[in-house]
Amino acid sequence: MPTSTAPHSPGLMADVIRATGLALAPSRARLRAMQDGPGVWEAWMVAAQAGDGAAYNAVLRACAPYLRGVARRRLREPASVEDAVQDALLTIHSLRHTWDPERPLRPWLAAIADRRAIDVARRELRRGGREVAVEAADDLADTRGTDAEERAAAMQLRRAIADLPESQRTALRLAKIEDLPLGEAAARSGLSVGALKVATHRAMATLRKRLGVE
Amino acid sequence: MDTDDLIARLAADARPVTPVHAERRAMLWLGFAIALITGLVAWHGFRPDLADRVDLPAERIQWFASVATGILAAIAAARLAEPGRPAAWALLPVPALVVWVAGMGFGCLADIARLGPSAMVLGTSWSCLGFITGVGAPLLAVLLYLLRDGASLRPGRVSAMAGLAAAALCSAGLSLFHHLDAALMILVWHGTAVALVCAFGAVTGRVALAR
Repeated sequence: MPTSTAPHSPGLMADVIRATGLALAPSRARLRAMQDGPGVWEAWMVAAQAGDGAAYNAVLRACAPYLRGVARRRLREPASVEDAVQDALLTIHSLRHTWDPERPLRPWLAAIADRRAIDVARRELRRGGREVAVEAADDLADTRGTDAEERAAAMQLRRAIADLPESQRTALRLAKIEDLPLGEAAARSGLSVGALKVATHRAMATLRKRLGVE
Repeated sequence: MDTDDLIARLAADARPVTPVHAERRAMLWLGFAIALITGLVAWHGFRPDLADRVDLPAERIQWFASVATGILAAIAAARLAEPGRPAAWALLPVPALVVWVAGMGFGCLADIARLGPSAMVLGTSWSCLGFITGVGAPLLAVLLYLLRDGASLRPGRVSAMAGLAAAALCSAGLSLFHHLDAALMILVWHGTAVALVCAFGAVTGRVALAR
C-alpha cells in the first residue's frame, strides 16, 4: 500500500507568523539585508565621493566587518587584523577617487584590504626576523666580548666547559646551549631524561665552582 | 586608535573627490604617445625600403603585432591600476606579444634559410637601444604619472605593463625609419630594449608608486 505524506502547505508558515504577530517584527538579519542590500554600499560611496560625510561614515562602518573578514584570510592575531583594517580604511580614504561608480564596491574594498593585510604580515615577518637577528648578535657579543675583560671571561668559560666530563658537556650543550626540549636532548645524548637532568645540574654546579659564581 | 574613532575622523574629512577613469587616462596617453612617435618618425623620414618591407606579409604582421602589443599593454596597465580588477588583465597583451616575438623568430629562420650561417652574425645597433629606451622611458613615466593612484596597490605589474606599452610603440615607430634588415639584429636589439624598459618600469614603479 503506497504511503502518502501530508501535502506541505506553503502558506502554513506564513499563517502562523501572521497569527502570532511575528511578521510585525522584522528579524535583525532582514534589517541588515535591507540596509546592506545590493547597491546600498555603492550608493553611499557615490555620495561619499561627492562629499557627503554621513554617507561616508555609513559605508565605512558597514564595510569594516567585511574588511576584517578579508584581513583574517592573511592574519591570525586580532591586533594584526585590526591594524590591517585601519590601514585599509586609511588607504580607502586616500584612494576613494579611484573607485569607478559603475563598478561594484566590494572587489575594490577587498583588493585594498588584502594588500594592507599582506603589508602587515610582511611587517610582522620582518620584525620577527630582526628580533632573531638581535638575539643572535647578543649571543655573539656574549661569547666574543667587546673588551679584553669580556674576552678573558669567555675564554675562561670555554676552558671550563672543555674540562667537563664528556656526558656533562653533552648534556649542557643540548639542554642549555641548544635549548632542546628534555626529551629530544635525552634522545640525542643517549641518556635517560633523569640522567640528563642530573648531568646538566652537575655541569652547572662544576662551572659555578670553577668560575667562582655562587 | 579605535577603529570607530578612525572612521569618525575619516568621515569628518569627506571632501568631494572626482572619480578618475584609468582607461580614459590610458587612451589619452596612447594618443600622446602615438602623436610623439609619429612626429619623431616624420622628423627622421621613412626608411627608403619601407614600401618593399610593407609588401612582405610576415613584416606586416610583425609590425601590426608590435602596435597591438603597445595598445593592449596600455589598456592592461589601466585595468590593473583599478583596485579590484582581476590580475588576469596582465595577460591581455600576451597573444599580440607572442605573435610579435614569433614573427621576429620566424624572420631569423627565414634569413638563415636565405643567407646561410652569415645570417647569424650579430652586429651592434646602439641606436635601436637608444631610441627605444630613450623615448620609451619618458613615455613610461608619463603613463605611470597618469595611473599613479590606483597603481599603488600593485605597482610592479602596472609599471611592467606600462613599460611594455611604451617600448612596443617605440619599437613599431623605429621600424618605420631605421634601416635594419637582419632579423636577428631586430630580435636581439629591439627585444633587449623592450625587456630593459619593462624591467626598468617594474623596478622603479615598485619604488615610486608603492604607498
